[in-house]
Amino acid sequence: MKTTSPPQRPAAWLCRAGLPTIAAVLLAMTLFAGRAGAEVFVDQVGRRVDIPAPPQRIVSLMPSITEIVFALGAGHRVKGVTLYSNEPPAAAELPKVGSYVHPDVEKIVSLKPDLCLAVRDGNPRHIVDKITGLGIPVYTIDPRNLAEIMESVMLLAEVLDSEERARAIVEQIQVKINSAAGRVTQAATRPRVFFQIDASPLVSAGSNTFIDQLITQAGGVNLAAGPTAYPRYSWEDILLMQPEVVIIASMAGGYSEEELKAAWRRWPELPAVRDNRLYVVNADLFDRPTPRLADGLELLVNIFFP
Amino acid sequence: MDQTFTRIGPRLTVICLLLGLLLAAALLLGAGLGSSGRNPLAVLDVLRHLMQSDTTQHTIIWKIRLPRVLLAAMAGATLSLGGLVFQVLLRNPLAEPYILGISGGAAVGAIAAMLLGISFFPGVTGSAFAGSMATLAIVMLLASGPQAGRKDSLLLAGVMMNAFAGAVIMFLISMSQSSQLHHILFWLMGDLSMAEAARLPLFALILPCHVVIFILARPMNVLLTGREAAASLGVNVRKISLILLITATLMVSLVVCLSGLVGFVGLVIPHILRLTIGPDHRVLVPASLLGGASYLVFCDLLARTLSTSGELPVGIITAMIGAPLFIVLLWRSRP
Repeated sequence: MKTTSPPQRPAAWLCRAGLPTIAAVLLAMTLFAGRAGAEVFVDQVGRRVDIPAPPQRIVSLMPSITEIVFALGAGHRVKGVTLYSNEPPAAAELPKVGSYVHPDVEKIVSLKPDLCLAVRDGNPRHIVDKITGLGIPVYTIDPRNLAEIMESVMLLAEVLDSEERARAIVEQIQVKINSAAGRVTQAATRPRVFFQIDASPLVSAGSNTFIDQLITQAGGVNLAAGPTAYPRYSWEDILLMQPEVVIIASMAGGYSEEELKAAWRRWPELPAVRDNRLYVVNADLFDRPTPRLADGLELLVNIFFP
Repeated sequence: MDQTFTRIGPRLTVICLLLGLLLAAALLLGAGLGSSGRNPLAVLDVLRHLMQSDTTQHTIIWKIRLPRVLLAAMAGATLSLGGLVFQVLLRNPLAEPYILGISGGAAVGAIAAMLLGISFFPGVTGSAFAGSMATLAIVMLLASGPQAGRKDSLLLAGVMMNAFAGAVIMFLISMSQSSQLHHILFWLMGDLSMAEAARLPLFALILPCHVVIFILARPMNVLLTGREAAASLGVNVRKISLILLITATLMVSLVVCLSGLVGFVGLVIPHILRLTIGPDHRVLVPASLLGGASYLVFCDLLARTLSTSGELPVGIITAMIGAPLFIVLLWRSRP
């Protein structure tokens, strides 16, 4: 009995034996291509992030990050920022991707970023997850004090490949911290400070805020220290507290500098009003986790110990 | 009584077809327009090249706009149907989940769960359902007292519960120091930006509710004729009402979790439809679903594209369009 096996067509052979091999090679190539020029970083919240080295199209999801990236000399690589990114002025010209609490994911994706930079406490978690889910790496920083800001600057510099700039920035911060510490140790007294963030209602900053740290580091006593991050006060509370120095964040409640001070001058029995120690300061120097916080520290020392 | 049992086949087909076309147009526009560009035809392009998935436009339409448009459609359909059901049950044209405090109760539950940081499903959704069921129970209890005969007692009780729920929400918000606060405030005004593919499975719980209500459309017609008349026609009024109440409450509380507090859809859409196509619920139920879906998709489109400095809460748009529309209709339907 003769059996004739059907002639094996090359295509069929290719399908049976060749395709898996080719697929494997292709897969390896894509993986390699993906790895080439990409690096794995671990961000400040402990997530592993694959980032092309160095990233060329950055979207910053927080005004503070925009500031840091520009300070690191990588401003030209920023392709999108959130609202209120006003520092440096060049950043304000860039395309906006919504506010930091409500970023517009569609706008972000349309800018084709190869890296998004986020802050843990500011950007909503579900938005960050959504961006990551769309294949865009998100590197998150989470600075909680001046030391950690220096750390964040160094980490971002590693990602952006600009360590030299970062070292200079960190050095400057350290110089300001040291000089503040020097003046505080010479001071005989510690002024009782009320830091007003908002005017109506009266809001101050409790412990675990940048403001509390700066006040303490500058040699003052934060009257609002306590577990509540942003406690509200009535004027009755203020009269009991008897602040010796009042710091008022600019633009608090949308009032002008004179209006803000006038509200305090209604209470001449307060030591701060009696001694005319009411100061309106630029809020950006105190609530943005950027190297400029060191300028805020310097400013406070000058106010506390003139 | 005649119209309750007449054949509705052709009418139903025509109306569903028209509203279906409207919804299709809304979906197409919703997926085609957005903050990053306005090209409705790109959607067709993306649909044609379903498998090539690497372009940015593909990602935007497929993974960002489409889940959102679907969510808006589902939320709109459910809220509109919820309004219709409550209007029948209370025989009051002002009834609506939002006004009755059902949405408010769900929001109290959902916000409490969010502030505690519980997972979305089943945490936030379960808590929202519990909240709205509790509100419903209290409203029913208040309305079944000695004054139960009065037609408005249920509505009044609902309005009060809604005010109370509003107060509890504001209390929770002012007590909280949560970093989610801003997000929650936005959500309170109706916010579809949480839309993502991961939320779509919740539809599996909502769709059966729609089906149940559609099946009960004929008894709904009978209910409208009054309890005694309905009972004499062999309808178990208590049982049907209870099923409708619980089903409507469940689906509304789920939608509140997905979209926040969106008002007016349940008031405006059933009214417009009732005024234009008549009071037969066998047509009104599917028409409310399609109409509500189209309405919210259009409103969400406006919310996303009107402002260049970030999107608006969609609840603002539904109320700003819905209220004047409602007034015009009332004016024109004067005897």
